[in-house]
Amino acid sequence: MADFEPVLSRNWNVPDSHTLPVYESRGGYQSARKALTTMDPDKVVALVKESELRGRGGAGFPCGLKWSFLPKDRKETFMCINADESEPATFNNRLLMERDPHQLIEGIILGCFATKASTAYLYIRYEYINAYRILEKAVAEARAAGFLGKDILGSGFNLEIYVHRGAGAYICGEETGLIESLEGKRGWPRIKPPFPAIEGAFRKPTVVNNVETLCCVPHIVERGADWFKSIGTPKSYGPKLYCISGHVNKQVCVELPLGVTARELIEVHGGGVWKGRKAKLVVPGGISMGFLTADELDTKLDFEDIRKPGCLGLGTAAVTVMDDHTSIVDYLYNTTRFFAHESCGQCTPCREGCAWIYKTMKRIKGGGGRLVDLDIMLQLASNMGMMPGTTICGLADGASWPIRNAMAKLRPELEDYINTHQEGVRQITPLQEAIFAGQLAEPNLISISLPILNKV
Amino acid sequence: MASIIINGQEHTLPEGEKLNAIQAATRYGVDIPYYCWHPSLSVVANCRMCEIEVGSKDPKTGEIKMVPKLVPGCQTPAKDGTVLVTDSPKVHEHQRMVMEYLLANHPLDCPVCDQAGECGLQDYSFEHGQANHRYVEERTVNPRKDVSDLIQLNQDRCIMCTRCVRFTREITQTGELQVRNRGHHAEIDIFRDHPLDNPLAGNVVDLCPVGALLDKDFLHSQRVWFLSKHDSVCTRCSTGCNISAEENRGALWRFKPRFNPHVNDYWICDVGRYSYKAANDAALLSACYLRTAGDLGPAAIDKVLIEVGRSLASIAGAGGKTIGILSPFLTVEEAYLAASYLKGLNPANVLALGQVPVEGEDWSVKPDSTTGRTGDTSFIIPRPFTIHAERCPNRLGVSAVLEHFEDGLIDFASASARVAAGEFDGLYFASDAIDPWTDEAAAKALRAGVKYLVVQDTNVTPLAQLADAVIAGATFAEKAGCYVNADGRLQYSEAALAPRDGSLPDLDVFAILLGRDPAPIRSRDVLAELAGVIPVFAVAKDGRLPVFGAPIEGAEGVGMGGVPFQDAWAQHRGAKSSGN
Repeated sequence: MADFEPVLSRNWNVPDSHTLPVYESRGGYQSARKALTTMDPDKVVALVKESELRGRGGAGFPCGLKWSFLPKDRKETFMCINADESEPATFNNRLLMERDPHQLIEGIILGCFATKASTAYLYIRYEYINAYRILEKAVAEARAAGFLGKDILGSGFNLEIYVHRGAGAYICGEETGLIESLEGKRGWPRIKPPFPAIEGAFRKPTVVNNVETLCCVPHIVERGADWFKSIGTPKSYGPKLYCISGHVNKQVCVELPLGVTARELIEVHGGGVWKGRKAKLVVPGGISMGFLTADELDTKLDFEDIRKPGCLGLGTAAVTVMDDHTSIVDYLYNTTRFFAHESCGQCTPCREGCAWIYKTMKRIKGGGGRLVDLDIMLQLASNMGMMPGTTICGLADGASWPIRNAMAKLRPELEDYINTHQEGVRQITPLQEAIFAGQLAEPNLISISLPILNKV
Repeated sequence: MASIIINGQEHTLPEGEKLNAIQAATRYGVDIPYYCWHPSLSVVANCRMCEIEVGSKDPKTGEIKMVPKLVPGCQTPAKDGTVLVTDSPKVHEHQRMVMEYLLANHPLDCPVCDQAGECGLQDYSFEHGQANHRYVEERTVNPRKDVSDLIQLNQDRCIMCTRCVRFTREITQTGELQVRNRGHHAEIDIFRDHPLDNPLAGNVVDLCPVGALLDKDFLHSQRVWFLSKHDSVCTRCSTGCNISAEENRGALWRFKPRFNPHVNDYWICDVGRYSYKAANDAALLSACYLRTAGDLGPAAIDKVLIEVGRSLASIAGAGGKTIGILSPFLTVEEAYLAASYLKGLNPANVLALGQVPVEGEDWSVKPDSTTGRTGDTSFIIPRPFTIHAERCPNRLGVSAVLEHFEDGLIDFASASARVAAGEFDGLYFASDAIDPWTDEAAAKALRAGVKYLVVQDTNVTPLAQLADAVIAGATFAEKAGCYVNADGRLQYSEAALAPRDGSLPDLDVFAILLGRDPAPIRSRDVLAELAGVIPVFAVAKDGRLPVFGAPIEGAEGVGMGGVPFQDAWAQHRGAKSSGN
């Protein structure tokens, strides 16, 4: 790996890297020029397909395949760029937008050229005010220089980019939630089918791509698919930005080939676990992906290998490290609180389930836990999400994965916590216990128990 | 021929209809529970109750491939080769889970909830839920609030199906309701200072599958299982909305819409909804009156009818003419018997149409498949809904009867002028209108023009005060019969209430005057008779009408198809309503 040359982040440390002259001086917009003047759109799609570029947003869906789902006879296509980077501990898109906005714009130009979209909406997270300002400026610069607008580089291709700020919801990072929000509605994900490629924003065929995915496209066009496939591991090709945060000495965002191990990330790039401690949990890609334990640190962080130890996927490759002083209860309490807060409230299982699990976690943390709560939580978590098919989007999967992982990997610690942390005021009352058991609270008063119509 | 396999049984799909799995299964007697789906609203699939196992059968090999996940039935199209499994343990387990989630924050205050008895949560938790409850956490209690002067929102009971929100966005397109907050704190609300006050607002109460949206007019007034429901037609305007008139202990308590794809779709307007109150009015005529020695005094109905018959016959015998003014509130059958009676007395007798009340202008909503819609709209058939300015149910029907007996229609204005000019000796004034249409001056002018005046009405009107005989007729709720709506659709309306004390339904009045035997007479027999006599009504020739009514001759022949629809929890459990 020593010969790996960063491409996505190559301009980050150059002064004024966010301006057009600096970007152009470092070879910027050459890919766009090459594609627009010498290639036709289908060829760009074919090139990206050949490179097997997988979406960097979380699900890892092949980008070229997504582009080829658009109907052939479409009249108007929209491109949405998902910059609603709200997964906790993820900040690679932010750096891409703040440090090198023109690389993104070039990627958008190529993506739109390939998909024949003449309007692109860049949906940026509300909190990214700095990135928003930089992007607005960069878009204006690019327009003034003729990279946006009508008849770009004499190719007859038109493109306008609109930077749209979200309103601060995690769920708007889901592609159909993003589209709804972009249309001015409440960010509730839509049912699929129809998929956005058929009927997306404003009921037109729409492609939704992540910032980092599009940033890869200029490099693929410039250096070819073979170069791209020479990086990474099988089925997971190309460079990836890993965000390392948590209990490490150095919280950084580094560009590495896909397939680096968690241990290497911590030891080499993160400068080791802080205070000389050991890693206990490593979240591989945002908290919705589950976690790795200390024994699983040699897992390769790519789209395939990460599933072996039971994680949901690579996600955003935001690696959060927790040292051995961290309680699993605190970790679960935080994640469940996050998802209970961010569940959009549309599908019943997620709306009620996330809140239920959070309240249970809160009770356990406060000292009122029961061992049976763990079974209930596991059952609730296994019941909700797109994987069992009970919700529209994947938020509930993300909410349930940490629970499932915790029950599978660290259940003894949870049981130990419950057994040793009991506070009277937090415990449930005998009445609640009786309702739970389907019995009368004071069975002596009436000699029968409550009628049970159909017992589980 | 397209076929679908439901729980292992193969069924033929109806042609020319785009159905989803819920609709297709219902056709073949398989119920798939659902909350958020409604046939006229776009599919959002957010309650997750209707999830079933879905697969497809390869037409060549016959191999069945199932989707690994559960799929909502509401978004699954029923196509050729679709396989549905609704009774597997996996599906039952899922339904039990959704019920548990929905009830997690539910207050379980059924004893004080108006929805009890027609509640989706009650029905489905009995059928698909579980008796004990594992939720021991503190409940999220969202607040109760008023969304308009007529509607109350009990947010704690809400299951966030968003049917009401979609109704205001997609059907009325006024968008008063919204969802605010996220997750388990999500709640339905209005925008500040913009109450839910569109003319169709009351429908959100009917749409609500639980007791969250409640009608303040009906609040805590009756338990719904005491109400007997009658398939009736609203008489407040000429749209002729199909309603269910719900009665208990001799009073009407509410109107609910009944589905008719050719008339009112699933809705009724608020004016019609609250028009039931006119039938409970304590001031309705409670006896018949006869003028003796200058004074109007109560008299037994048989005495009054004998007197009226004798007087009108003697006018005819003396060569005098009587004019009958028949109101557009009469049913077709009543108008036919009245006309037969008066024309039978003296063929020179004249028949005229009563006043047609008009208020404002027609108001309509025209939902389409895009405006305001959010989810999947491919199963929707958008239909317009109109509230007519013409505030009577049967102008077309009574006119058609009159035109059969009389060349050219005489309207109320010219009839009044001719009466005031003294052309007639007798006036038979059959009204039954909800609001009186003669003021005192007009009443005096009519009175002065004739020697003998019979008023048949439900209210004490200025004209009734001046009459020689007053017959207490039936209100809209007390009579059975057919009306022809503004589009020319002949529809049957059941009587919801028994005749009140001292009154006689108009059909019986005319039958007795005609000397028919035996009374009581049935509207169906009269309908069959008049259908044979008046060609316009030929469609009702055996006295029976299809569930959704039928267009009379000359009306635009909108199709007769369609299947009655009622949400599962609003149906009588065990025995589904059979329509007409």
